[in-house]
Amino acid sequence: MSLLKVSRLSKQFGGLNAVQNLSFSVEEGMIFAIIGPNGAGKTTTLNMLSGLLTPTSGTIALNGQDITQLTAAARCHLGLGRAFQVVQPFPEMTVEENVMVGALFGARQSKQLALNQTHAVLEQTGLLRLKDTSADDLTLLQEKRLEIARALATHPSLLLLDEVMAGLRPKEAQEAVELIKTVNTSGVTIIFIEHVMPVVRDLADQVLVMDYGTPIAEGSYHEVTQNPQVIQAYLGTDEDAA
Amino acid sequence: MKLRMNLVLLALAAVLLFFLPDLLKLFFDKASVSYLSLLINATSLAILALSWDILARTGQLSLAHAAFFGAGAYSTAILVKQTDVSLWLGLPLAALSAVLLALLLGSVTLQLRGIYFAIATLSFAEVLKAVIQKLPSSLAGGAAGINVEPLFRPQFIAGEMERWEIAFLRNESYFLLYAGLLLATIVLSLLIESSSLSYAFSAIRTNEEVAAVMGVKAARFKLLAFVLSSMPVGILGAIQAHRIGSVSPDETFNVGTTVLALVTPIFGGLYTSLGPILGALGLASIEEFLRRTFSEGYLIGYGIVLVLSILFMPKGIMGLLRSLRKAQRESL
Ligand SMILES: Nc1ncnc2c1ncn2[C@@H]1O[C@H](COP(=O)(O)OP(=O)(O)OP(=O)(O)O)[C@@H](O)[C@H]1O
Ligand SMILES: [Mg+2]
Repeated sequence: MSLLKVSRLSKQFGGLNAVQNLSFSVEEGMIFAIIGPNGAGKTTTLNMLSGLLTPTSGTIALNGQDITQLTAAARCHLGLGRAFQVVQPFPEMTVEENVMVGALFGARQSKQLALNQTHAVLEQTGLLRLKDTSADDLTLLQEKRLEIARALATHPSLLLLDEVMAGLRPKEAQEAVELIKTVNTSGVTIIFIEHVMPVVRDLADQVLVMDYGTPIAEGSYHEVTQNPQVIQAYLGTDEDAA
Repeated sequence: MKLRMNLVLLALAAVLLFFLPDLLKLFFDKASVSYLSLLINATSLAILALSWDILARTGQLSLAHAAFFGAGAYSTAILVKQTDVSLWLGLPLAALSAVLLALLLGSVTLQLRGIYFAIATLSFAEVLKAVIQKLPSSLAGGAAGINVEPLFRPQFIAGEMERWEIAFLRNESYFLLYAGLLLATIVLSLLIESSSLSYAFSAIRTNEEVAAVMGVKAARFKLLAFVLSSMPVGILGAIQAHRIGSVSPDETFNVGTTVLALVTPIFGGLYTSLGPILGALGLASIEEFLRRTFSEGYLIGYGIVLVLSILFMPKGIMGLLRSLRKAQRESL
């Protein structure tokens, strides 16, 4: 049984089909990439997975359980963690307090255990020495790390990462890649959205390509990058941009 | 650790408050009666403000606190009028009716944010007032309201006591009751601050969606905040009904109560235990000072002070203290 099974998922915004008839499965332990041009519907898909958007149609199953109707908090409790594309730390809290929210209410444990786990996650993400810094005073790299740390603190079995590399310098991105690998090795299945192709090549076991809300290819990195439809989609947007 | 220290401080404050009326009498004689009235006003404002702040910590800026106050006042007034039970039973009943009302209002406004939430809560309070007015007058007294027996009847010993001494006794008893309720509200607020609730409240206030994705069941915590916030206000309404001696739709469901409930914590500093209390002490003293200085039209002066303070201290007294402390630390 797949850890995550998405079946014929669609989302309409008014007349716009942001996601259309999307089906895919993610096996336990895998690192799964979703790529595609801007506006392809990647973030919309993650929003439906984490329970922030209700699909127009289709179903989502986690570990065989249909979670389509569950609230975001309930999905978190079933092991779904999420880092946002647009970082949004709780600005009035310190770094430690931000992570504590996930450790307390996502992982549902006592305050003392939550604090221990928070420190472990901060250590893992390289934020420990910043624990008492206000989340408002972080650099972009630190904010991205905090975004991941908060998601990790909820104890996910499946972690959704939305463009965590965007805006990072190559060296920083390399560090983030290492972090994601470590997290995956510790037993967390990962779905990530990414525009930086070398990162996708280095990380992904399986790649799903979306364009205009529909899946156009799925396979290994090499398979999908050879796919004429994929090349067309990417060249197409380049022409649009030019 | 910090909680324990605060509770010790609070116990000291309790002892001080207990002896305060006698100290005032010792030093100020007859004038102690009006000082006690001022203290009662400040204490009652502090209870209202701190309770309002507890709800605000979840991002819910309520305009319904007059409704919780009124529900407490009216349930007590009706109980006292219709039955012979002990007057004191009115207080838990007041808490209960405020809580029920809070659960009802809280559940219908769960999805509302910002101005929509504010309008919904304000309308709720107005509707409740209208309902009370329309209830059979044998039950709720209609537009004229109901008289409420006092909780305390000081014994008048003819020839041995002056008039003001009786007024003092009356004020003293009420002051101790208000002070007790305030201390209980502060303990409640401190417990929230030091528990994991504070993380949930603050996360929901700043970003409910992210909080939900991190496992915070926002609806549950928002309702809980409604319940905790409404309880002291309901009891306050009941005590006030006894002290004033009557309830009526216009006096008891006064928009002024709602306005004070939100202005005071803003003036003192939001989302803390100390801020609303400092705000209440500050506003009650300023109001009293202006009233004595300008008797006529002092409310205009009061309004100007409020506007200026919000302009120049956007984070309230607490914000001012924080920046002073920071400046001091940096100059060292
Ligand atoms: N809440 C919304 N209301 C209306 N339209 C929306 C909403 N969210 C997204 N869209 C539209 O849906 C489409 C898909 O958006 P989405 O954010 O999922 O794209 P994306 O693949 O994540 O793009 P990017 O790579 O730029 O992040 C876009 O056309 C977008 O404008
Ligand atoms: Mg996106």
